Amino acid sequence: MPKQIAIYGKGGIGKSTTTSNLSAALSDLGYSVMQIGCDPKNDSTTTLRKGKSIPTVLDTVRQRSGDLDNLVHEGYNGIYCVEAGGPEPGVGCAGRGIIAAIELLDNNGIIDEYSPDIIIYDVLGDVVCGGFAMPIRKGIADQVYTVTSSDYMAIYAVNNLFKGILKYSNNGGALLGGVIGNSIKSSLQEDMIKDFTERTNSDVIQFVPRSPTVTRCELDGVTTIEGAPDSRQAEVYRELARKVINNKDKYLPTPFDNDDLADWASGWINQLLLNRKVEIDNIQEEASGI
Amino acid sequence: MVHGNGHHRGSCRKNKIKRILDLDKDTCPNREQRANGTNVYYGKASQLLQDAKEGNINIPDRKFQQSGGCVLNFYLSNRVTTIRDAVTIFNAPVGCSAGSLGYRELYRGVPEALGRTNEYNNAWLTTNLQQEDVIYGASEKLRDAILKAEERYHPQAIFILTSCTTGIIGEDIEGTVDEVQAEVNAKIVPIHCEGIRSRLVQTGYDAFWHAILKYLVKEPEKKQDDLVNVASMLSYTWQDRLEIKRLLGKLGLRVNFIPEFATVSDFEQLSEAAVTAPICPTYTDYLSRGLEQKYGVPYFLYPSPVGFSSTDEWLRNIAKYTGKEDEVEKLIEEEHKIWEPKLNAIKQEFVSLRKNGEKPTVLGSLGQGRLVSQMPYFDELGLATPAAMAQDFDDLLIDELEEIVEKSGDFQLMVNTFQAAEQANVTTNLDPDLTLTCPFQGGTWERDNNVTRIHSLRGDPEPTSAQAGYAGAVAFGNFLLHAFKNRSYHKTLSEKTEKSYKDWWYEQDNPLYYLNESK
Repeated sequence: MPKQIAIYGKGGIGKSTTTSNLSAALSDLGYSVMQIGCDPKNDSTTTLRKGKSIPTVLDTVRQRSGDLDNLVHEGYNGIYCVEAGGPEPGVGCAGRGIIAAIELLDNNGIIDEYSPDIIIYDVLGDVVCGGFAMPIRKGIADQVYTVTSSDYMAIYAVNNLFKGILKYSNNGGALLGGVIGNSIKSSLQEDMIKDFTERTNSDVIQFVPRSPTVTRCELDGVTTIEGAPDSRQAEVYRELARKVINNKDKYLPTPFDNDDLADWASGWINQLLLNRKVEIDNIQEEASGI
Repeated sequence: MVHGNGHHRGSCRKNKIKRILDLDKDTCPNREQRANGTNVYYGKASQLLQDAKEGNINIPDRKFQQSGGCVLNFYLSNRVTTIRDAVTIFNAPVGCSAGSLGYRELYRGVPEALGRTNEYNNAWLTTNLQQEDVIYGASEKLRDAILKAEERYHPQAIFILTSCTTGIIGEDIEGTVDEVQAEVNAKIVPIHCEGIRSRLVQTGYDAFWHAILKYLVKEPEKKQDDLVNVASMLSYTWQDRLEIKRLLGKLGLRVNFIPEFATVSDFEQLSEAAVTAPICPTYTDYLSRGLEQKYGVPYFLYPSPVGFSSTDEWLRNIAKYTGKEDEVEKLIEEEHKIWEPKLNAIKQEFVSLRKNGEKPTVLGSLGQGRLVSQMPYFDELGLATPAAMAQDFDDLLIDELEEIVEKSGDFQLMVNTFQAAEQANVTTNLDPDLTLTCPFQGGTWERDNNVTRIHSLRGDPEPTSAQAGYAGAVAFGNFLLHAFKNRSYHKTLSEKTEKSYKDWWYEQDNPLYYLNESK
């Protein structure tokens, strides 16, 4: 049985970047990896493919070509890249798209056929509806990871994801493998995320510092692992990969009520504000999704 | 039959129906994915065969399409509800279950004297999904419905029929089932028949059998060497059920009829049977493969017992798996002795109906399974079938269709599900002496010279409507003969009804005129 994980997080928080670097690092470690982008934007795997996009599962179905041979495309170091795809912004139902794509892959034995060691679902946003919860249901992923920065809205999204995990945990759904702290610039940000995990019965698996190397590689259409393999940042991703592959933790998180979360966060944000004015700029910058 | 699973990365996915069924999944692939199915085609049967072999089958859109059934209501809603000691829950808005209402009355037309059980009383519930359920999720409602079903009916099984609505909002049906199963005695069987999941209603058959195989069939306690699984008898008429029972009874065999009017224990013992025999192969395929794969129950998919030679072969196939090889030859001989003279008399009358020595022509409208069994039967009667209409076509019956084309020559084939206008057009253009339609596929309509008739209706208890086995071959022959000889029905129909379509439509030489070629 392959290890199957799903990675969630607020939009723009660096989820696909982290996922693709994780895939690339795992692949370098010798594992056969499949990355499945579950986002109608269809851009999860582009940095594994030199910046080029691939035809999506749903487009293939839509054309009714009956051609199930061309859903999986090889990327960096032989990583199997899949994009679920979905509707244009403002129309249709992206959630149903995720369901349809995953069912198609699963029921037709397409994933089994490639028999990867690890399958990573890169899922848009927090668990907004039944469709986006599909990857954490019983029988799909067995561990969920979430990417967050110290931005309040990103943590808010993590808290929502925890609610989703809790909901499906009664029915054999996936449990939490850990929180990945991303875009970290100060130890206070680490402390805030750590505190959140301690209060919600979860844990941080890795902090990933903010790094211009990542941005530069992305602009070149590659992962940091591929574009700057000797960088310190690449080593961080490799460390994350080693942790993920060995991680057997399965947390049943205890999310905050929304009001409590706001109370908790305001304390931390005040501290961050007091700590250094420049920190405020970072919060805003991160909130804008860069 | 041997099924390989030797698929490797990037290997060709053609002939994927040979692959092992994955019963750990919540449901089956749809028929488009599993067997390259289609319900849009008009042309030479040989061309369709070639397209199928090359993997070039697709389902183009129609710009004009008449309504039909869906994965849920074409098949499941009116048959699963007949299972006697079970309750069906439609996890759907209330309208999705409306289709089964009429069937309760229809099936009640079968006299109890003919074996229709008097406990038959369609028990079903609907979760009656509303806007609020769509927005907030409906798992609690399903849970309540399951508990109500248990409390009210104490059934052996509770079937859950899913719908477009639950599919779109991504209801975690299995999650609810896992949670509530411990609280009820009935075995809960969720069936994924979301209408939007497939354009082929036949996907509903596979989804149903997937759930049966996954949840209801038990590990065999003992083998029942005299038990023969026969599925979908109600694709035919009630009399056919009796004929099958009669013939197999003479061999000392018992029939396990599923799913119509079956009990839950009939499903549980599917694994103990000696063989699974086909009545409608497109329907039985998934079950047959699943039982063979999981429990080693052998099966065959062709022929169905329609016409003398196919019935002979059907019986011989069953005899092979039940050790009745000697008995079956005796039975066939006896039956031929009784029925052959009657069939011959019908054939003689058809000879006398020939004009200029030409055989009368029949255009049959059938499921793909029936297509491959009925055409040889028409041939036995001395009727010509220069064309045929089928509800669906997929890779499941490539070999059988090829055999027919080889034996009987090429013919025009129309594939559509419930497109009455296309059928009326083809009928006018080909102008066969007799067009047989399915009640859901156009009914009968007026024709100036020739005849349209419905071939049978589910549950029809009239002996004159039978089609299967030897008695059915004779009854059906008589039915066809009457249609030729007595034209008063059609005379009246022509006099009293307007044409269904404008002349323009009948004059079009392409019944797929409304096909959207650009898609």
